[in-house]
Amino acid sequence: MEKILAVNSIGKFFKDKKVLDQISFDVHKGEIMAILGPNGAGKSTTIRNIMGIMYPDEGSISFHGRKEVPRNKIGYLPEERGLYKNVKVMDILLYLADLKDYPLKKAKERALDYLEKFDLKGKENVSVEELSKGMGQKVQFIASILHEPEMLILDEPFSGLDPVSQELFKEEIRNLANQGTAILLSSHQMNLVEEMADRLFMIHKGKKVIYGTMDEVKEQYANFKCTIKGVNDRSLLDDLPNVQRVEQNEGGTTSVLYLDNEVHPSAWLKNLPEGVNIQELIFDRITLHEIFIQIATGKNLAVEAGDLDA
Amino acid sequence: MRNTWKVARWEIKRNMKNKTFLIGMLSTPVIFIGFMLLGSLFGGSDSENIDPTQVFVNDEVGVIADIERIVEESALDWDIYSTDLSREEMEAELDDRENTAFLLLDHLAVQEGTVSVYLSEGVGPFFQSELRVISPVIQALQLEELGLSEDEMAVVARGITFVDVTPRGSDIGEGAAGDGEGAGAGESDFMERLVPGAFAGFIMVSIVFTGMAIFQSASQEKKDKLAEIILSSLTPSELMQGKIIGYFALGIIQSLVSIVFIVPFLIWRYDFPILEYLFVPELAVLLLIAVLGFLLFAAIFVGIGATMEDITTAGNFQGIVMMLPFSPAIFIGPVLSDPNGLMAQIGTYIPFTSPGVMILRLTMLEEWPWIEVIIGTAILAVSVWLFMKLAGKIFHVGILMYGKNATPGEIWKWLRGS
Repeated sequence: MEKILAVNSIGKFFKDKKVLDQISFDVHKGEIMAILGPNGAGKSTTIRNIMGIMYPDEGSISFHGRKEVPRNKIGYLPEERGLYKNVKVMDILLYLADLKDYPLKKAKERALDYLEKFDLKGKENVSVEELSKGMGQKVQFIASILHEPEMLILDEPFSGLDPVSQELFKEEIRNLANQGTAILLSSHQMNLVEEMADRLFMIHKGKKVIYGTMDEVKEQYANFKCTIKGVNDRSLLDDLPNVQRVEQNEGGTTSVLYLDNEVHPSAWLKNLPEGVNIQELIFDRITLHEIFIQIATGKNLAVEAGDLDA
Repeated sequence: MRNTWKVARWEIKRNMKNKTFLIGMLSTPVIFIGFMLLGSLFGGSDSENIDPTQVFVNDEVGVIADIERIVEESALDWDIYSTDLSREEMEAELDDRENTAFLLLDHLAVQEGTVSVYLSEGVGPFFQSELRVISPVIQALQLEELGLSEDEMAVVARGITFVDVTPRGSDIGEGAAGDGEGAGAGESDFMERLVPGAFAGFIMVSIVFTGMAIFQSASQEKKDKLAEIILSSLTPSELMQGKIIGYFALGIIQSLVSIVFIVPFLIWRYDFPILEYLFVPELAVLLLIAVLGFLLFAAIFVGIGATMEDITTAGNFQGIVMMLPFSPAIFIGPVLSDPNGLMAQIGTYIPFTSPGVMILRLTMLEEWPWIEVIIGTAILAVSVWLFMKLAGKIFHVGILMYGKNATPGEIWKWLRGS
């Protein structure tokens, strides 16, 4: 796939503290690339460096192989976002499109189409302060895509959205990717990322932790786990083969067994001793959400910084 | 630069569509005119709004023409009529009349030097003093009857006049000359200085007040959380310059709207050729000073505006900086009492006070201290450049700082950094 954006070993210092260290990844045409990490990991700083709001102290960023990143070809929805309060919806959409050098006539047509698509038909002459929070977020999203960007950077696009709007945003983001827009998506909602992203880059304390396609990440990091409901002695479970660690709730009624990546599910299940009390059993892979939490809390022993040859 | 103009256009459009701004823009001249009308209502209404006093003269000695001439020269608000009513008839007439006086000028009056005057209701309290104006006419008649020659009469009738000849700066001699024509020319010179000066002062105050809106606007992007969205399309410098240019244009629009209302009002009310006095070469210098003053305060406001989200959260430091445009007020007293004094000169060289002090001084002085004007303007221009640079540095970092106001320590760090 055609590489649109390349981030090459960028580093950034805030005073003496290195907040980004050797960050490298690419974003390709028509793909959704997720950038994940706990709060303060360096996601927004990375994005601000791409957008030219800050400049990296080390490394470089290129767009179509050129060092100059043309900001009018990128759409950006930052995490901290809002709209001027006392202006009309259409006025602000056209102003933001104008700042991106997009023809106003075309912008107006597209704005009306998108307003209709996002259930905001007839709101173009309404003052922004009269919109609900969800409506405001839709307008911000429209503003970020109105100028037909080649690349779209979305920082927490789903935060504060109701499930219906979430679906609408998801569908539109997927549509844009299908039409060839390169999308860099930052989100804490792991279920959505898992569902949407083609590839992901996980960052922690300014450093790369995981980078690869969703399938590769799952294969390498999302080991199998077995959740058993029923009162069991912890030592019995600890002694089972291929078990990396066991987590039990208070009272020991539910136990989660994290298995190593060499386990063969059916053989392992067949060899479970009769003494194990099983009221209910779930056998699945650990989710992206769990990987994220483990990394953020430093629990994941299996994960070491690695590149999956994305 | 293209982005700068886009921001400027946006700021103009946004404000021109904003009801609060429009109300403010239109109400300024209305308030101005209202205060002037109110002022004349309380101040000058007594003499201006009441009809002239009707003065009926029973002239048995033939001086009515002289009285009419002297009353006209003294610009007294009298309407003079000739009458042949007798004392008794005059007394009888008084009851039916308002603001009317009857004068009986007969030979007895000339001989004894006592003129009988009958006053009706409503004659102003100053009429008695005004009557003194016609006493030379009667004195002349007395002297003539005594048989003095015309020259002798002229010497006696002239009386003694005290003329103030104290030397005052550059005015030496001119004031003492004091003939009618000279005094008129002096007044006209003063108007030639006052009108452009007042105009430049008005423009400056108007754009400084609009400039204060820059402060609100600079924190707007922070408050509405738009800074990152905007800065993903343009640089902080472009945003800052766009705001300054936009609000400068808004200030000019505001001034023009005020002028369109106020100038016709002044012409109608005071009947003097204001436009003739306005468009003199000095206006260019005064406007340059006013514009530099605007740019200086715009830079300060835009910089400080970027360090906080709302004026209500301004700390002491920001509050003090916001007061800077009003600092020329300290110099108003000293400059008025001595426009060339040491305090006036000091005020000219301090960038924050220089625009206000220079405009005030140049309005008052007949001969401009050009060297001081040039040095003052140069200091102002350099300060504008310097403060724009500093504001740029503060704006660059401050605009992206959400959630808290910058401390003076942080601002100092930003100024030293990068």
